[in-house]
Amino acid sequence: MKKKMLYKIFAVLLVLGLLLGACAPAPAAEPVQDEPAPVEEAAPAEETEAEVEEEAEEATMEPVTFQVFYPVAVDAPIAAILNGYIEDFQAEYPYITVEPVFSGGYADVQTAIQTTIDGGGEPPALGVMLATALYDLINADYIAPLDGYIAAMEDGDAFEADFLPAFLANSYYDDQLWSIPFQRSAVVMYYNADMFADAGLELPTSWQSWAEAAQALTVQDGDSINYGLHFSSDWPYWLFQPLAIGAGQNILEDDCTVVFDDPAVIEAVQFYIDLSAVYGAMPAGVQASWATDPPDLASGATAMITHSSGSLAGLLDQADFELGVMPYPGKEEGTYASVPGGGNFYIMKGAAQEKQDAAWKFVEFISRPEYVADYSINTGYIAHRFSAYDTDAMLAYVAEVPQALDTRDALQYAGAELATQNLGQVRGIFHDYIQRAINGEMSAADAMAAAQVEADAALADFCP
Amino acid sequence: MNIKASRKRFKPLPYILIFPTAVFVALFTAWPVILSIYQSFFLQRMNIARFREPTFIGWGNYIDLFSDPYFIQVIKNTLLYIIGTVPISIVLGFLFALLVNRKVRGIGFFRLAVFHPMVLPMVSAATIWLFLFTPDYGLFNAALRFLGYSGPENWTGNPSLALLSVVIVAVWKNSGYYMVFYLAGLQNLPSDVYEAAALDGANGWQTLWKITFPLLRRTTIFITIVAFIDSFRTVDHIFVLTSGGPSRASTVLLFDLWLERFEYQDIGISAAITVVFVIVLLAFTVTNFITSERKEV
Repeated sequence: MKKKMLYKIFAVLLVLGLLLGACAPAPAAEPVQDEPAPVEEAAPAEETEAEVEEEAEEATMEPVTFQVFYPVAVDAPIAAILNGYIEDFQAEYPYITVEPVFSGGYADVQTAIQTTIDGGGEPPALGVMLATALYDLINADYIAPLDGYIAAMEDGDAFEADFLPAFLANSYYDDQLWSIPFQRSAVVMYYNADMFADAGLELPTSWQSWAEAAQALTVQDGDSINYGLHFSSDWPYWLFQPLAIGAGQNILEDDCTVVFDDPAVIEAVQFYIDLSAVYGAMPAGVQASWATDPPDLASGATAMITHSSGSLAGLLDQADFELGVMPYPGKEEGTYASVPGGGNFYIMKGAAQEKQDAAWKFVEFISRPEYVADYSINTGYIAHRFSAYDTDAMLAYVAEVPQALDTRDALQYAGAELATQNLGQVRGIFHDYIQRAINGEMSAADAMAAAQVEADAALADFCP
Repeated sequence: MNIKASRKRFKPLPYILIFPTAVFVALFTAWPVILSIYQSFFLQRMNIARFREPTFIGWGNYIDLFSDPYFIQVIKNTLLYIIGTVPISIVLGFLFALLVNRKVRGIGFFRLAVFHPMVLPMVSAATIWLFLFTPDYGLFNAALRFLGYSGPENWTGNPSLALLSVVIVAVWKNSGYYMVFYLAGLQNLPSDVYEAAALDGANGWQTLWKITFPLLRRTTIFITIVAFIDSFRTVDHIFVLTSGGPSRASTVLLFDLWLERFEYQDIGISAAITVVFVIVLLAFTVTNFITSERKEV
């Protein structure tokens, strides 16, 4: 009897235990230990603005330690690179200690910070999160505006103006600056220039010539087909946006207004479908091929892929042919389109003021042109400041790898990345319906109309 | 009298021994469940300033959930996923165990071959399958074509195949694991029963069905519970293979919970989903044990 009872209790505990494991997809970050930090002076804003005289103060500064949570989202040794920068920084600011915390992907960083704050802990002073997370982070009251710091700088305006505008677009809200670009990318089209040359094809300059080139480069290889173009749609909004922009209408206007049912957007959806249905240049239906596309291009299984500029370094490494990079061709002859992506620095409101101030010093430091250039060269992210392109290191690099300039130049055709209030839900709705259209469950027009209705409803609570 | 008195005397040792476990369970198991039940009656959304403070709404979250066609679809997907993975991977595990429970040379290799998927992290396994599933050159399609298959080949992108593809990966990964339990069970079976059966002239099928299978009943119960719970809590491969799509065709309960909590930042709804989760799993386990214990007598 007793034994049975024990079994039952054990079973119940087992279930609960496993369940608990299941309910916590990401381990809750441990509450930040309080450093033996200086007694909280509740440093008022004026004090931070007095930073001009910081040089004089520095010698007597109290030691401060802050954490930075960062993701690794590309195939590059981000941790080693970042640790090197931190060493340089600490050599220049001996009273500041930076603790880098690698936290998985972008979603994991945000989850870790959320759970820390929700659990009543002190968040890290600095986090690298998606540029598009802006509204969710503001609404949840997690992040602090940065205008005070910019105003306190001697050359604050010049500092701000030096960032590529496309990358700063998702940093403003309510006339305030909330984030600083860090690891930024753009959607581009990579192509195997040798295949184009062998087939005697010109680079595409419009949807029409793009589709025809993809069709011409689709070849039957024994039992399997090597399609001319791989264009993944398992997480579709980002890679799709340049199609919509290329048709003349981005899918959003501002944080409260999405444009899904515009004829131009519907036409862009239809073009995606036609690449397979009319031109036979892609497999039919939703393509869950984000992860397999770069190796496919590198191995010659396809001639073109649409992907992140962040894959440039890996592709250059693997490809034994001449790799080309360009923005998407637009609908009309001679038009092009792209969209930015990637992560920014955010300073957390919940961290002690002196930690926030120290974090800003680090952001300023790592935004120096030589570090921006170095980070870009070593990771494949696009250098996000104009001045970085004038550094010797960058000039030497682009002489060798001109494609790095092509990714930057794609940005001149970029529209804003989808960033709205209630982003998770709005994006989810868009994904649902565009995938229905791509899979032929609904017409492009019906799907986008339905998406518009649901997205408007999802935004209603946020945008009175 | 003396004996009675001594029996009643308080013995602290058992309580001291159980104390750490009790604290652990209370803190990390009971408390989160209680908190979830509490939160599930409140409207709280972290990404809307005016809903950040919880407001009591009674059964509102549950009503919202069960009147949402998406959630109904998620429940359906979850059921299909369980039906697809649990029985098949258990049966396969059992068959594999019978196959490799022989004294043949090189059997270790086959055991390893069937077991190795379990050693791989789910994310790596799913990434391998991404390549196997590719529509143009994927090995999976090539193998199917060889067997005469001529259906759709875009496994992870097709709304009617996406759920099946995550089921295939889960079965591939788990059946080897269950095989190990069955193998251990098989090797512990008493040989005299088999000798008696052989003397009585039982054929192979009768031996398997009347002796081996019933004797392994405890193992089967254990594996069923593990498999059932596992089918609820494994979502890693869904993130890699389909992101829950296309159009939510492969979104299961835990994936939906993650979406609601961390993507939509809806604390009330995600608490309600957690409660549904707890109830289903508890009901299953308790039923399973009550029925299995009764048969034991």
